[in-house]
Amino acid sequence: HVVRKFLGAISSHNIPVYLIDPFVLELIDKDIEQIRSSPDGPIPECKYFCAPRDFTTFALLDKMWKHEASLFRTAEKMGFQWLKIINKDPRLDGIDDLSGIEIPLHYIFKLASHAIHLVVFYERSGNYLWHGPLRLKQRLDRKFVPFRKLHFGRYPGAYEKPELLLVSIDDLKVQIPKNPSSFLEEMSQSRFLECRYREARAFFQLYPDDVSLDAVDFRKKAKSLLHLAASTLNSLGVKFWLSSGTCLGWYRQCNVIPYSKDVDLGIFIRDYKPDIIPAFQKAGLLLKHKFGKVEDSLELSFQGKDDVKLDIFFFYEEDDYIWNGGTQAKSGKKFKYIFPKFTLCWTEFVELKVHVPCETLQYVEANYGPDWKIPVKLWDWKSSPSNVQHNGVWPVDEWDNVIQIY
Amino acid sequence: MDEWKPNPTVKPHKKRSWYLAWKYKLMNQRALRKLCQTGAILFLLVTVIVNIKLILDTRRAAYEEEEESAQDYDDEMLNVEVPRHPVSNKKILDVEVYSSRSKVYVAVDGTTVLEDEAREQGRGIHVIVLNQATGHVMAKRVFDTYSPHEDEAMVLFLNMIARGRILIFTIKDEGSFHLKDTAKNVLKSLGSQVAPFLSWRDMWTFVGKKGGEVYGEKHAKSPALSTWGDAVLLKTEVHLTSVEDAECHWPDTELNRRRKRFCSKVEGYGSVCSCKDPTPIEFNPDPLKDNKVFDVPVAVIAGNRPNYLYRMLRSLLSAQGVNPQMITVFIDGYYEEPMDVVELFGLSGIQHTPISIKNARVSQHYKASLTATFSLFPDAKFAVVLEEDLDISVDFFSFLSQSIHLLEEDESLYCISAWNDQGYEHTAEDPSLLYRVETMPGLGWVLRKSLYKDELEPKWPTPEKLWDWDMWMRMPEQRKGRECIIPDISRSYHFGIVGLNMNGYFHEAYFKKHKFNTVPNVQLKNVESLRKDAYETEIHRLLGEAEVLDHSKNPCEDSFVPDTEGRVYVMFIRMEQEADFITWTQLAKCLHIWDLDVRGNHKGLWRLFRKKNHFLVVGVPASPYSSKKPSSVTPIFMEPPAKEEGAAVVPAVAAAEQT
Repeated sequence: HVVRKFLGAISSHNIPVYLIDPFVLELIDKDIEQIRSSPDGPIPECKYFCAPRDFTTFALLDKMWKHEASLFRTAEKMGFQWLKIINKDPRLDGIDDLSGIEIPLHYIFKLASHAIHLVVFYERSGNYLWHGPLRLKQRLDRKFVPFRKLHFGRYPGAYEKPELLLVSIDDLKVQIPKNPSSFLEEMSQSRFLECRYREARAFFQLYPDDVSLDAVDFRKKAKSLLHLAASTLNSLGVKFWLSSGTCLGWYRQCNVIPYSKDVDLGIFIRDYKPDIIPAFQKAGLLLKHKFGKVEDSLELSFQGKDDVKLDIFFFYEEDDYIWNGGTQAKSGKKFKYIFPKFTLCWTEFVELKVHVPCETLQYVEANYGPDWKIPVKLWDWKSSPSNVQHNGVWPVDEWDNVIQIY
Repeated sequence: MDEWKPNPTVKPHKKRSWYLAWKYKLMNQRALRKLCQTGAILFLLVTVIVNIKLILDTRRAAYEEEEESAQDYDDEMLNVEVPRHPVSNKKILDVEVYSSRSKVYVAVDGTTVLEDEAREQGRGIHVIVLNQATGHVMAKRVFDTYSPHEDEAMVLFLNMIARGRILIFTIKDEGSFHLKDTAKNVLKSLGSQVAPFLSWRDMWTFVGKKGGEVYGEKHAKSPALSTWGDAVLLKTEVHLTSVEDAECHWPDTELNRRRKRFCSKVEGYGSVCSCKDPTPIEFNPDPLKDNKVFDVPVAVIAGNRPNYLYRMLRSLLSAQGVNPQMITVFIDGYYEEPMDVVELFGLSGIQHTPISIKNARVSQHYKASLTATFSLFPDAKFAVVLEEDLDISVDFFSFLSQSIHLLEEDESLYCISAWNDQGYEHTAEDPSLLYRVETMPGLGWVLRKSLYKDELEPKWPTPEKLWDWDMWMRMPEQRKGRECIIPDISRSYHFGIVGLNMNGYFHEAYFKKHKFNTVPNVQLKNVESLRKDAYETEIHRLLGEAEVLDHSKNPCEDSFVPDTEGRVYVMFIRMEQEADFITWTQLAKCLHIWDLDVRGNHKGLWRLFRKKNHFLVVGVPASPYSSKKPSSVTPIFMEPPAKEEGAAVVPAVAAAEQT
């Protein structure tokens, strides 16, 4: 069988790969208890790898990877045809004027009617693994395999570093993610967006970056606050994304906007947990104010250790739009900020793997209007945003609950 | 176009079904109209036919799309491969060589491969080496043989060229004043008839094969001392040999394939391209036991000095405990030859588009290289930073492995450096000894990621600042009172003599006599005593034990230090406040150590060796160690020399900074 041959070639070169094929993992997941408990258990028939498919997908950690040429030679001797997809190294993209060296992103080894798709995972700043998109250059044979059916490569993806488990299935020893079902879950939400480094450079050509001590200092504080917020929310399992000014900073300049004075995050109200406030307090942040309530316009604001504010806006989903609320403390006036529907993608920001809306442009435009590319230092959250709407006034008897200032 | 797009892939078949639905809807509407207006039957028929045709067309288009099923996987970039060197079957090369006072050029088959008409540079003998099979330029050098010793460098270079290569020579301005007989004889042995008689301001061109025929030579004598010979233009033909003949026949291994690629492209690297007995390009030094720096990335900062880079990488790859996978060479500019060297050794290299000028350019290159290093190795807590003009000691990684934990744990440390600014042959002695110093020596050092990411990178000097990165790093705003750990005997050796801040005189005076450790596996002594507080205890112990030298004697004289070995001596010099280095600078000058600025001090204390004795210098009263001075001793004061004397040194320094 092709997989067997391939694994033979791989192991003879001491290249550690692990199985990430969603079909096979799904089959394995059904029997996971049994497979875990009897790592050498004899399973007679070829149950997992022999299911009819065009591909089997494996992952390769770049770190472990060298001597590519000799693997190709071995594979060729075994009768494999191979294809290597390279592209620019995104880890160097953000750095001024480095000629982007190209790195291997995908390998495909084909033997008869079956192919092995080997996805190369790179470690990136923010303690996560990244794989690149699969794009065919002109001179490549686009009928080498039915590329569309590949499970990896339509988009780049971001993953946690997986814990691996060595199992014996179909009489083959192979590494798999320790928890296949959570890997499959992660896979379905792994799409990654690269920061728009080139546009960011163009932006800084127009508006040179502020490198004053104050700006450097604020960025450092904002970064550490964001790291703290991310670790707090991640440990609660609450999904969040960069919102408002922080999102604009990522999208426009791949950095924290030095005059933004706070860090803004968004959370879907369905992901709200009452432990959020205590968790932040435990992490050393003080609750500064709490506006609204879970049913309507919830908004939390924390004071970071070194004077930077953390704003958390909760987003409410309607049939054809998503919104978050605002509250003016002195008047009890309510505001509503409307966004087109969006999904979440991973990105890297200040050495952190975080979510941003995949449809970032629409999100930013909704919030900041068509002129979002022009820096505005004077910003009034009640009137400046393009998507702000008046949303009535809180009833006075509710004020104690929906306007809490500490 | 490979611009970022929020949603670059739209499924074509989805688009199609939407289109059909719309089409059918339209048809239904028209069917309704038919019921009401029977007179329009004809019109409807036409419509139907048109629609059927449209549907068929759409289907066919869709089928064609299916054919290109991987369409949305296409790279948006149009990638047309153009062979860099058009392959010609021509066996003869036309070569044109021009020599004159103000301009030289060389054209091969009509392509200019050398052109130099810049004023006040490029003087001397220009040499070009061509591959005898392909005609490609393999090396290009200029030797300013008007100046001393350049002819020696030329001889060295010519001796390294493989037999059979085609050599082209041409003189710009003047090339004979310091062209000694040895060099003339080498040129003669290449077949030149004129070389032995080349004289003042003669013009000369020569084309020949190393160890073979002469393709042409032209010469114009200078008629008088004050004038130049007439410009000469040599036009000749060179017969190419077959590729087979031009290559060596090494066994076919991965290493030799790299070697072959390198040797068919560039020249001037000597035995690495020798057919008979090529020097190794893989070194496999002994691994280090318990190597704490095996996973620390190594950034090699390089410019366009490929021969230096070659020497540097050889020594680096020979150092015990080296991990080639962690090495990245950052080349400042799109230079091919340094990249060829990097590939020869199987390392990875990254080129950097040059921005800004001179010092600022180096500084921007440093920033990009450091950022890239931490981005490529996101797990790294440190990076080793090296430059292309350093030799690396065999125990470089062993030295770092034994000391790196200090940098991790002691926040009062700024760096670990392999270089002791004051470690000369006559002032350094103990390979196992380390110091703490307030200055940052550079030249092979370890940078902490947090220092770079949190402090240095965000405020790194912008290109228009035109600052030296190392000077900037030494400024108090950056260093913030932190210190570096250095060895007594340096673990790097600065061999570069052509560089931004370098020239021959400067190198001779300040770098040549620098001591460099060649002993493997040195066990460092008492590493824990380098921690902040422990070091103070150590210094007090040393000072307690030290014998006070006779302050009535001249400290510059050899007899100032007794003829002993292994003792500890102390002297006290005048130092009114922290920044008063008047006496120290004079002392450094007469001891022939680094005196261009203050290096190697720790709280007004300098540590070095004299006559194999540990020699301590304390600045009184600024140093906290002044209390160790016996009341009977008057600190020595040395005045700067009168202006005329100083003038001898100043121009040299100025020159060094300008070149």
